[in-house]
Amino acid sequence: MSEAQSKVRDKAPDPGAWVDEHGDYLYKYALFRMRDASAAEDAVQETFLAAMKAYAKFEGRGSERTWLVGILKHKVMDHFRKSIREAPIGEMADDDGPEHAEFFARTDSWENHWNKNYAPTEWHSTPEELVQQSDFWKVFNDCLSPLPARTASAFTFREVDGLSSEEICELLSISVNNLWVILHRARLHLRNCLEVNWFTLDKH
Amino acid sequence: MFSYDNTKLVVRRWLLRRLPACKETVETISKLMDRPLTVREKAEVKVHLLVCSWCQWYMEHLQTIRATLRTQQTEASDEKIATMPGMSVEARERLKQKLSNPN
Repeated sequence: MSEAQSKVRDKAPDPGAWVDEHGDYLYKYALFRMRDASAAEDAVQETFLAAMKAYAKFEGRGSERTWLVGILKHKVMDHFRKSIREAPIGEMADDDGPEHAEFFARTDSWENHWNKNYAPTEWHSTPEELVQQSDFWKVFNDCLSPLPARTASAFTFREVDGLSSEEICELLSISVNNLWVILHRARLHLRNCLEVNWFTLDKH
Repeated sequence: MFSYDNTKLVVRRWLLRRLPACKETVETISKLMDRPLTVREKAEVKVHLLVCSWCQWYMEHLQTIRATLRTQQTEASDEKIATMPGMSVEARERLKQKLSNPN
């Protein structure tokens, strides 16, 4: 380690104490976003390493935790970008998710209208009620996970993070028309999956 | 009563035959979530929704899903995060070790 580096480190607090104070919170935050324990652990580690290097710049402005969470948010986005780049070519290139042609397949003269077996029904829950129900999130994750990586990422960037179409196209290096196809398939699949596994069950 | 319902049904069918079908309409509804529609698209969806409760529900559901995910995201506040399992003792030790010896 160079002299300059050790000087910077001397200004940083004891890493052990830092981990005890903020480690758990950062880890839970990362896990909440990434749903993957080892990825969350890596992101927290990278956050602390980056924070130790940059501690001189922080200079105690604002709360330490807010500053750390800010760094962590960047690390989480980096992780998503990286996992998109590194996904196997086959999975990334052509597979935009299921087309679900059966949703609109009919044997009568109303071809391309809803097949009754898949047609939407009324839902009786508001977003406020849904966010409270932890079972709902389990069903939601089970519905999202079978989608191809790129499709699931595009959907999450759009619906959860609220990124614009342009931003997502840049992140995923795809055309905007391709993005609309991907998002449409993700929505068709998810809406149906949620309806079947959540909304039509009597207990809700 | 009978003739009123009957007329409604006939009008409904007549309209649905002339508008883009449900398959195309849900594609347009999906686009509506990401960009402003053209005047034509807007008009076609609007009339289709007047006579098709399936597609009406479809649009409501997309909006419910988005609102739920975004509410959850803003409530990614302490309460929700707190429900996540914490770091294991081993993970904590690994982290401390790595930080005290970064290279």
